Amino acid sequence: MGADVSVVAASEPGCHIFNDFGCGFEAPTVSLFFPTPWLDFGLPGTSGLNKYYLVAVVALIIAAAFWYFTTRRSKVVPGRGQSMAEMLVGFLRDQVTRTTMGKEGDKFLPLMVTLFLFIFCMNIMGLIPGLQLPVTSNLAFPAVLALFIFVLWNVVGIRRHGVGAHFKARLVPGGVPGWILPVVVPIEALSNFVIRPATHMIRLFATMFAGHLLLALFAAAGFYMFNPLSPMGAGFGALSVGYSAIALVGFLVFTAFELFIMAVQAYVFVLLSSIYLGEAMEGAH
Amino acid sequence: MYLAAEQENVLRIHWDEFTFGLIAFLIILAVVYKMWPRLTKALDERADQIEGGIARAQKAEAEAEEIRQQYREKLEEAHREYAQELEKAKEQRAAIIAEAREEAQVEARRIVDAAHAQIEADRQQAVAQLRHEIGALSTELASRIVGEVLSDSAAQNRVIDRFLEELEQSESTQQAEVR
Repeated sequence: MGADVSVVAASEPGCHIFNDFGCGFEAPTVSLFFPTPWLDFGLPGTSGLNKYYLVAVVALIIAAAFWYFTTRRSKVVPGRGQSMAEMLVGFLRDQVTRTTMGKEGDKFLPLMVTLFLFIFCMNIMGLIPGLQLPVTSNLAFPAVLALFIFVLWNVVGIRRHGVGAHFKARLVPGGVPGWILPVVVPIEALSNFVIRPATHMIRLFATMFAGHLLLALFAAAGFYMFNPLSPMGAGFGALSVGYSAIALVGFLVFTAFELFIMAVQAYVFVLLSSIYLGEAMEGAH
Repeated sequence: MYLAAEQENVLRIHWDEFTFGLIAFLIILAVVYKMWPRLTKALDERADQIEGGIARAQKAEAEAEEIRQQYREKLEEAHREYAQELEKAKEQRAAIIAEAREEAQVEARRIVDAAHAQIEADRQQAVAQLRHEIGALSTELASRIVGEVLSDSAAQNRVIDRFLEELEQSESTQQAEVR
């Protein structure tokens, strides 16, 4: 909470509700997602070394360490950590790869585990006190993963069916009369090769972006409304504390909800990746 | 994809962040792939052990069933043998009893026969002796009465025979009269 609040509050130091110098509430803006770089590379199209790097490194360490330490001493009789890793793998295998790709999908299971772990850890960074910035709220990070899946989708399809068959299956839907193809093919091309990877990355990005903005709004509002020493009187001071309490409750509720969304979005991203790869393996339908 | 100049565009993708994200992703992917065999190995071993355990349990169960079957057969056989032995013993008992009874009957008959023979012999002897004594007595009596010594043994015998025949006839007539 502190980081967001300090970011917002920094713009109007000491500005609270029921003040006597007429300053109003300023909602947090998208500037939240443009942290000032500590080190500017001075190159076009770069952001410089900013908070996203730090948070991404933390996410990377957590994801890698989780996997490393839970599976390092894998035994027949699993310990607590190994059970967690097995639960994750079992869940992704039964709910994601097996349902979308069948038994063949088992070879993509490590990839799906990686995706889920990495995305979930990047998402959860939005709730870690002191960091509080979901890495996936920066489109660059979902884009890496979505483009990776897009490339893999093409590679799998081409290796399985050949270049022609892969692109034909993706561009020419079966059972469509010939005269309509000039319309359908561009639509399919746009849909499969542009819109789909774009939505794949933007879905994750947008939910994390909006969720974080919402939490920041609650935190900023709660901070703004907390003014027990209001110059307008003790009654207004008490009222401001009541408002602030409502904002705090909202913040806590939405934090719990956000945690759920973070897990769901990681799952959705993995599920969609799996569906795309399954489609590429299947070929034309 | 977007220039740094567009500062507040939320849909920006900065190349440096993109590259960094890719590196982070590949590091985690490498860790996951590196550790993957350990987990799958453990899982496979567990599956093996469970399957082995199931197979062992099934085998043990089959063995137990077989042994139980054997016991049951043995028990049945024992029962059957017992019944047979009992039957045989009964038969033997009956046979022994029958044999003993037959032997006893034979023995009894033999004893009775011997007794009969003895009695017959004694009677014969008594008859013979009686006849002899009666002959001698009657001869003496006759010689005394007649006063004549019947030296001629042939004539003597004839006389005795006739006497006896008369005696027997008189006996039979007496008996007939009695009757």
